[in-house]
Amino acid sequence: MTEKKRYKPLASSKYMEKTMTRYYALSQYHRFWGKPLRRPLAWVTSGAPVELLRAFKIHPVYPEQYGAICSTKKATEKLCQVAESAGYSQDLCSYARSHIGSILRPDLAPMGGLPRPDLLLCCNNICGTVLKWYEVVARLLNVPLLMLDTPYLPGEYEKHTKEYVLEQIHDMINFLEKFTGRRFDPKTLERHAGYSNEAVNLWKEIRELCRTTPSPLNGPDLFIQMAPIVVLRGTSPVVDYYRRLKQEVAQRVKEGTAAVDGENIRLVWDNIAIWSNLFSFTKMFTERKACFITDTYTGGWSMVLDPGDPIESLASAYTKVFLNRSPDFRARQLTELVRDYSADGFVMHSNRSCKPYSLVQEVIRRKVMKETGVPGLMVEADMADPRAYAEEPIRNRVQAFLETLGGI
Amino acid sequence: MGQYYIGVDIGSLTTKVVMVDGDGKLAARATGRSGYSGKDVAERITARLLEEKGLGQKDVAATVATGYGRVTYPADREVSEITCQARGIASQFGSAGTVIDIGGQDSKVIKILKGGKVVDFAMNDKCAAGTGRFLEVMAGALEVRLEDIGDLALQARGHCQISSFCTVFAESEVISHVSSGASKADILAGVCDSVAVRVASMTSRTGLDPEVVFTGGVARNKGVAAALEKALGCPLTIPEEPEITAALGAALFARDINKGQG
Amino acid sequence: MAEGNKTIVNEAVDLLLEESALKGSRFAERYPGRKAFGFFCSYWPEELVLAAGMEPLRLLPSPGNANPSELPAYSCSLVRGCLSMALQGGFKGLAGVGFAHTCDAMQCLGGIWEETMGLAGTLTVVPPVMLSGAGAGKFFENELSILLNKLGGIAGSSPGEEELSGALDLCEKIRRQVTELDGIRAKLPSDLVAAVMRAGQVMPRKEYSRALEAALPALKEGASDPGGRQRVLVTGAVLETDSLFRMIEDLGGRVVADDTCTGYHHYTGPTRPANKSPLEAIVSRYTGMAPCPCRNRGLDGRTDYLEDLAAGRKAGGAILVIRKYCDPHAWDAVTVAERLRGAGVKTLVLELEASEVAGQERTRLQAFLESL
Repeated sequence: MTEKKRYKPLASSKYMEKTMTRYYALSQYHRFWGKPLRRPLAWVTSGAPVELLRAFKIHPVYPEQYGAICSTKKATEKLCQVAESAGYSQDLCSYARSHIGSILRPDLAPMGGLPRPDLLLCCNNICGTVLKWYEVVARLLNVPLLMLDTPYLPGEYEKHTKEYVLEQIHDMINFLEKFTGRRFDPKTLERHAGYSNEAVNLWKEIRELCRTTPSPLNGPDLFIQMAPIVVLRGTSPVVDYYRRLKQEVAQRVKEGTAAVDGENIRLVWDNIAIWSNLFSFTKMFTERKACFITDTYTGGWSMVLDPGDPIESLASAYTKVFLNRSPDFRARQLTELVRDYSADGFVMHSNRSCKPYSLVQEVIRRKVMKETGVPGLMVEADMADPRAYAEEPIRNRVQAFLETLGGI
Repeated sequence: MGQYYIGVDIGSLTTKVVMVDGDGKLAARATGRSGYSGKDVAERITARLLEEKGLGQKDVAATVATGYGRVTYPADREVSEITCQARGIASQFGSAGTVIDIGGQDSKVIKILKGGKVVDFAMNDKCAAGTGRFLEVMAGALEVRLEDIGDLALQARGHCQISSFCTVFAESEVISHVSSGASKADILAGVCDSVAVRVASMTSRTGLDPEVVFTGGVARNKGVAAALEKALGCPLTIPEEPEITAALGAALFARDINKGQG
Repeated sequence: MAEGNKTIVNEAVDLLLEESALKGSRFAERYPGRKAFGFFCSYWPEELVLAAGMEPLRLLPSPGNANPSELPAYSCSLVRGCLSMALQGGFKGLAGVGFAHTCDAMQCLGGIWEETMGLAGTLTVVPPVMLSGAGAGKFFENELSILLNKLGGIAGSSPGEEELSGALDLCEKIRRQVTELDGIRAKLPSDLVAAVMRAGQVMPRKEYSRALEAALPALKEGASDPGGRQRVLVTGAVLETDSLFRMIEDLGGRVVADDTCTGYHHYTGPTRPANKSPLEAIVSRYTGMAPCPCRNRGLDGRTDYLEDLAAGRKAGGAILVIRKYCDPHAWDAVTVAERLRGAGVKTLVLELEASEVAGQERTRLQAFLESL
């Protein structure tokens, strides 16, 4: 009851559900329309330049998002066990394990598993795991693997790095021309990059509306509302959706409507959500009137493409992703969020599945605390695997943390 | 109108109850094994305390619960043991500093400001390393009573190395030390070192103030205290009754509630 | 040394074993005036360090379980151990430390190093992941040439073609010598060979080459037929001690093929092609090294290599060593094990906390060797 009162659903969600249902239905029936329309299906990592695929009329499907879906549908544990008994260590990424489990045992998987791909597109800007994961999938399903290597940036994005990424994209275009039998049309790419940019800008504006006190959105809103921009990036429906969402959020701001009634603690979230326990975890905060006003993860989809040659702007945007940057860069980013959103503290999810995100969090935590003077809490869990989530120790930490912020 | 305030700390192993008077002075305290239902134990202890003092339920103005069992206890409010610990220590020692608390199931490092405000804290990972439970398992492996570990460890001539943090593996390490002929004292000193090193490394997460108070049931263990002093390179202050400080903090919070209402 | 092996008495061998055990810990005292530059991964281009006038020194953790608070418990013991040693001053005296970007854990350690140990002297090089992909060679060459300048900056030198060429010659000479040793490893105690190979990563390279030159005749002399020992292949990342190889030896096994990062893997790769600049030659060497799970040379690069290696050395069994929380090796283990088993090579996936083996591993290894 109190939960309902404190947590306000968005009217737009209904449309989002429609958009997502349509996307997944379309994907599931791809076997009927893909061939006749000469539109192959690709499995794609979340940080891959999907605009390229769109320019070749390839339909993208996202195993990472599917990993999150498996978790919210309580299927992760079974699917991971399937992968684990096939030899994949329990310490490997839970998205990857559950996805591999869904390939091996579609009968245990939500939606009966993802529709089979004709192609894989992997970009290592988010981690090294995606390379290993997609290699396994490529062997299992015997489909070509396209890999975009975006070198880690210890410092700035340098000329030789840019040239390297560009050369790979051009090489990819050559491959895709042969693979699809379609000619590359820079205009089409530009159009899709344009849609991406519109959606990204809207998402950015929606997020910035949360700088208001009280915040119109809470963490789970951000995590749920990001779904369309992940899978439909580069299309026009996604632009329509975020326009609608922005209106609703702007209305909340105008009316002073808070996502968390009586908001009195403003927090920044760092890392992927704890999908398996998203609502019970968030409740520990909402019941103490704490709101996650912004986060670093869903902010990954708010990087605007530079004007100019679309291939160059794709290369730059995808290589400069925050997970491909130094702790120093990430600490600066988090510090800015704390300041721009007038946050009282931040919470880091030490996510066993995601080493590049998590291993550097403690040095970032110290740096940001020093820089901003606000406290940061670290809780260890996993983005998808419920077996790594221990409710009581987490509750203990969260409560103590909120007590230091909001008084008893 | 009641004028006493109760703090109940239901831990994984022990339940602690502290009563303070209207001036916040310690009036009574008692402890007991938490057992299967910490809540029942806490209620029994509270009733006994009141009876001993010739008081009744009406004399209790407010109760605050803390510790793992805090959610189940019918208190006026529940407060986490980190905040309570800080409050309890601040009331006893007044100064800012670091609190190291090693209990049955977890260990914590809490950095506090004057007045007991928590600046930062760190807790052990989801395993028994660096906790009372770790000591209990090792005591079992060596057939030593838990309360004797400290004195025995202080008699050590050399310190055996226990390198595994995993309780199960550490236990087999202990056993292999036994079979290679090491003395119980030397092994126990190694066990104490292991706990100390683990907890000391947590202090680098919060930063260490040289004024360190050591609390929790394990603070009674002289072996761990000595190892911890060595690992941290500074002396420790140990309260006379190190296990009741969080319950004391809870009782003081109970007193605040009443003031707020009054 | 295990039964059935001849005892090898030789000053040069002793020196190599000593250096191997010291793991560079007394470098400054033993080699006064030399500048040591630390590195972690076999993709770190040693030639450039040498060309800049410094000595590449592989950083290895000391035994024991280190838990620096900067890293979560689910990071591998190599990064935890090395960071902990660094924070305790164990690596002071180094001119700098180099990170070759390979796995996520190394990427993070590099970042944490910059934050905790300071930016100055912390260098990163990013080898391409798709080694034979478009633009990879050129990118790698650019990375190396930038790195060479930075190394020169640290050493106060300005290395050019001549220095690079000299360094390349020295490294190639060492690789030839080590390859010679690798060729007779089936006839030598496994732990001895492992130690001699590790020495070449923790002592000045010229001295290493000289010592190995002097040791080789004695090693050949001491070589003896392995008899009924079980022939195994070992693959895995860093092994900072010989504990595993010694146990294999104790249990009647013999490591006839080695693909560990601190072992022969470190010395693999093509020799200098004709008509190439030294930098191009270095690129081609690191690109052509034995495949690493962190890099891609087609889907079958690593499995092909290991299957050939096992067949060439007539290994009846293979041990895939995975350091707990090492993602790249854990990922590859499934595919590699399947492939090797398919080729008739019995395979054991052995997960270790660090590099030391004890009672539990003994049981598993013994049962495995008995099954061969």
